Amino acid sequence: MDRIENHPILGPRKTKREPVDFTFNGEQWAGLKGEPIAAALLAVGIRTLRRHEESGSPRGLYCAIGHCMECRLNVQGKGTVRACLTPLEAGMCISEGERLPNEITGRRLP
Amino acid sequence: MNTSNLIVCRCEEVTMEQLEEAYQSGCCTARQIKMKTRATMGACQGRVCRQMLDAWVHLKNPQLPRDAEQLSYRPPIRPVTFGQLAKGEV
Repeated sequence: MDRIENHPILGPRKTKREPVDFTFNGEQWAGLKGEPIAAALLAVGIRTLRRHEESGSPRGLYCAIGHCMECRLNVQGKGTVRACLTPLEAGMCISEGERLPNEITGRRLP
Repeated sequence: MNTSNLIVCRCEEVTMEQLEEAYQSGCCTARQIKMKTRATMGACQGRVCRQMLDAWVHLKNPQLPRDAEQLSYRPPIRPVTFGQLAKGEV
């Protein structure tokens, strides 16, 4: 998906953002420094940010204002963060939120 | 539109059908339905589905007083880590 470079109301982007590299699930991608992780991933076409802990169904950006916790994923060194609120930094190692094993129902993961 | 598998609570994956089942099994307030289905008990703590659940219960039983058994709000307003709390970054 393309970034909005020229907004119909806000006009053209005023500040240039520095391109940075990051990894998502081990794959190398490029984004813009300081943009939300979710925006960087959306820009390269990644929409699944997390798997539901219980069912494993794919989840993505939902409210985009830090409200719903749907987009939480793991950033090395920061733990679980919300992709919509966390600014992208150079060299971030990001991995999607994973389905978890469940001792009570006996679900084990491969 | 088939509403039975419509998800109401995304965090706990509670569907409309499950709400209906809970209601039929005798849960008649929002709080009782919450206890039965786990709706509003997920990671967002009802920020997304609380109003929908309240409205749905009201639709089911308009006679029920609004404050019969309200769903509780739990602090903090915004989720913060213990680290942020300790450093006063909030």
